[in-house]
Amino acid sequence: MKTKIYLLILCLGLLFTQACTKYPPATDRLLEDLVVFTQYDTKADFTSYKTYTVSNTIKKITSKDTTNMTGPLVTAVLNEIAANMNARGYTQATGTQKADLGIDVVYFQNTYIYTYYYDWWGYYYPYYPYYPYYPTYYSSYTAGTACIEMQDLKNYDPVTQKMYIRWTAMIRGLLTGSHTQSEITGTIDQAFIQTPQIRANVTVK
Amino acid sequence: MLVLSWGVIQAQEKAASGYMPHSYYTFSWNTTFPLGDFDKWVSQPSPAGFDIGGRYLIHKGLTTGFNIGWQRVSKIYGSQTYTIPDKGIAITAENYRFTWMVPFQVVIAYHFMPSRMISPYIGLGIGGDYMEHHLLIQEYDIYKTYWDFSLTPEIGALIKFGAFSQWGALIAFNYKWTTNKIDLYQTTSKDLQMLNLKVGLAFVLR
Repeated sequence: MKTKIYLLILCLGLLFTQACTKYPPATDRLLEDLVVFTQYDTKADFTSYKTYTVSNTIKKITSKDTTNMTGPLVTAVLNEIAANMNARGYTQATGTQKADLGIDVVYFQNTYIYTYYYDWWGYYYPYYPYYPYYPTYYSSYTAGTACIEMQDLKNYDPVTQKMYIRWTAMIRGLLTGSHTQSEITGTIDQAFIQTPQIRANVTVK
Repeated sequence: MLVLSWGVIQAQEKAASGYMPHSYYTFSWNTTFPLGDFDKWVSQPSPAGFDIGGRYLIHKGLTTGFNIGWQRVSKIYGSQTYTIPDKGIAITAENYRFTWMVPFQVVIAYHFMPSRMISPYIGLGIGGDYMEHHLLIQEYDIYKTYWDFSLTPEIGALIKFGAFSQWGALIAFNYKWTTNKIDLYQTTSKDLQMLNLKVGLAFVLR
């Protein structure tokens, strides 16, 4: 009987240790999630703009340098922005036609490095037993943020050189290697979905 | 002969009825079921929790005592959009919500058959909680902490492993009402409530 009770106490003890973590398991996975943040100028009247232009490259900014990104993913992202603008009733400016809105995409790539150590005492031969040492561990991950900016070209003042940004979309968590092209272009759609104010006329939903 | 038999039966009944405990201590595994506004925050039961309790008989089946514990409820919510309309802001993200709490209460309970092997009881806990509510989005941990007042009516039973055993099991079910709140984003959850199922071991002192 006593053995059973001790086994029960042991089981409860194990449950106790499992239960007693502050953060739930699998929180690390959140780093790979895509987050879509948007902010529009609440004073802007988006129906006052009719045409737009999208840059044909995406600038990539890292801690080392700035380069222009190319490739199928870049084309897909830029096409998705244009498709959403067209669906909202705007017309893409062609040739020398002056556009009311200009859309730029910049991609910031960061490598995050974590340092951590276990502060425990160990045996460090041939020195004194229980000499304290703190093994240090490093871990890193690379993730990026795409920033889409909608500039007001219509009201650009060449004298003061003031350019108003009417809408900003930031997509965090890109290029961790765990997202497909359709997931990435899906975030562009989401940026527009959560900003229904962007529309060329009131009848467009 | 008849008198002798009657005497034996009486003696056996007395033996089977066990002893009147002086006090008992419990260590239980606690499963939490969020209710109401708390369920809107985390709509998932959680087995992550424990409870330590002590009871002291003060008169017949009437006991007084304490409960302290630790509980955590958590759930991952897929892509959800939060807006701050006056600033024109919208955020869509997968988020991990969790609340962990340290409840502490004084308890008064009445045991209907305190000397029996199975001793059912009803009780009321009065006390408070320390709660931390966390909203995790990527590496961001947005959280708030609150202390509260809480009331917990409870039904349960102390089940001794033998008529004279000092060890037993505890099974209890309670409803907990608190003044705690969650206001991490647009929706404010007030008066957090939950159900708790406790299953554990009891050590009984004569």
